[in-house]
Amino acid sequence: MRVVLVPGVLALLPEYAGLEDPVPELRQACLDAVSWLGVEVTVLADGQGTRVAEHLLASTARSEDEASYLVVGNGSAMRTEKAPGHLDERAAAFDAGLGRVLKEPKSQSLAAIDQDLARELWANVDGIVEMSALPGLVLDRVDYDDDPYGVQYWVVRWCDDARGCQS
Amino acid sequence: MTLKLGRHEFDGDRTLMMAIVNRTPDSFYDKGATWAEDKAFERVALVVEQGAEIVDIGGIKAAPGAEIGAAEEKARVVDFVARVRDAFPGVVISVDTWRAEVGHAACEAGADLLNDAWGGADPELVDAAAQHGAAIVCTHTGGVTPRTRPYRIEYDDVVAAAIADTVAYAERAVAAGVDRRSVVIDPAHDFGKNTFHSLELTRRLGEMVDTGWPVLVSLSNKDFVGETLDLPVGERLTGTLAATAVSALAGARIYRVHEVAETRQTVDMVWTIAGRRPPQRAIRGLQ
Repeated sequence: MRVVLVPGVLALLPEYAGLEDPVPELRQACLDAVSWLGVEVTVLADGQGTRVAEHLLASTARSEDEASYLVVGNGSAMRTEKAPGHLDERAAAFDAGLGRVLKEPKSQSLAAIDQDLARELWANVDGIVEMSALPGLVLDRVDYDDDPYGVQYWVVRWCDDARGCQS
Repeated sequence: MTLKLGRHEFDGDRTLMMAIVNRTPDSFYDKGATWAEDKAFERVALVVEQGAEIVDIGGIKAAPGAEIGAAEEKARVVDFVARVRDAFPGVVISVDTWRAEVGHAACEAGADLLNDAWGGADPELVDAAAQHGAAIVCTHTGGVTPRTRPYRIEYDDVVAAAIADTVAYAERAVAAGVDRRSVVIDPAHDFGKNTFHSLELTRRLGEMVDTGWPVLVSLSNKDFVGETLDLPVGERLTGTLAATAVSALAGARIYRVHEVAETRQTVDMVWTIAGRRPPQRAIRGLQ
């Protein structure tokens, strides 16, 4: 099994393309990670996130016959005064905690993510919480971990413990 | 539609800035500021730096004045074209002339485009363009003699007249052998027109665009702007840019200008509003 997390950044969608890409490194990280998934991919995302996922899937050539999940979610959008949701002092700690969970994705800790606080901080964690139903995940690699616009983005790959990662 | 301007091609519906470079001692706007060859060359370097795709080099001011013969016009223009060609191989060189003799010499020196502001007054100018693979701008002047001001000229329908004359001129150019992709039409604001005519042409420019021929507009600091706002030369930039915006919304492709940077911003903004160009870089609300 292979699982990838990407953020639901609308700037990744072609309908919002400018002449210059505002997220070139994030885009490349997303494409690299999604390319690693198998042919058949289950998307764990809300409506907007699903659009991002479908675009990334359509933009990649994948050949592996491997059960795969593409999760769309991100941390808070209140990390700085210029962030979409302005600065909330709780954002950094929330994202740090969420980051630790992503690096050691135990079902119990995924299910225990504070979804109320996530909503207050404009974080999208629904798909990440759903990952708790995928047992035995181990971290393969973190492709991206940054907050260029005051929103915490991760691009992360996991695989299942039983077979080990083969990337 | 792809534009082929001499050695240069421009895809799709790209807009182009044509910067005015006067090798004249007496043009209305710059009043001889680039009469000296080195000053004109500095002007070319500046407008290329500002992003102009085309420089329009002229040796005779449009308004009445001292007679300038073909020999003197060539002396002002031809060697300068060669110098610009050598220094700026990527820029489209246009020469503002109505004379076939000057057109031939300019093309031999490296010109890509003949900008005939006087509506085909010399019927052999199209042959010069055809012979050298150059492009041509076909303007509407209502049939006036070059370098004359309009006097009591009226039209039943100025837009219909402009379309009829420029399209006929365009077809004549193609028949003479000019590449169909190398023909541009220009309603020629203020040429053979009063202010009401130029305003109506601006308002109804979309009808010219609908002919399918790429449209050039030359609006920069002209009297129709000055009379509309009661402003002298030197204070017409805002009015010029307003007329530019309306022309861009209608779909004009080429803008003959004094102020390159300001016009480029105006056209890019309007072209983007019209959905013909994406924003340069968009992240607001999309993070």
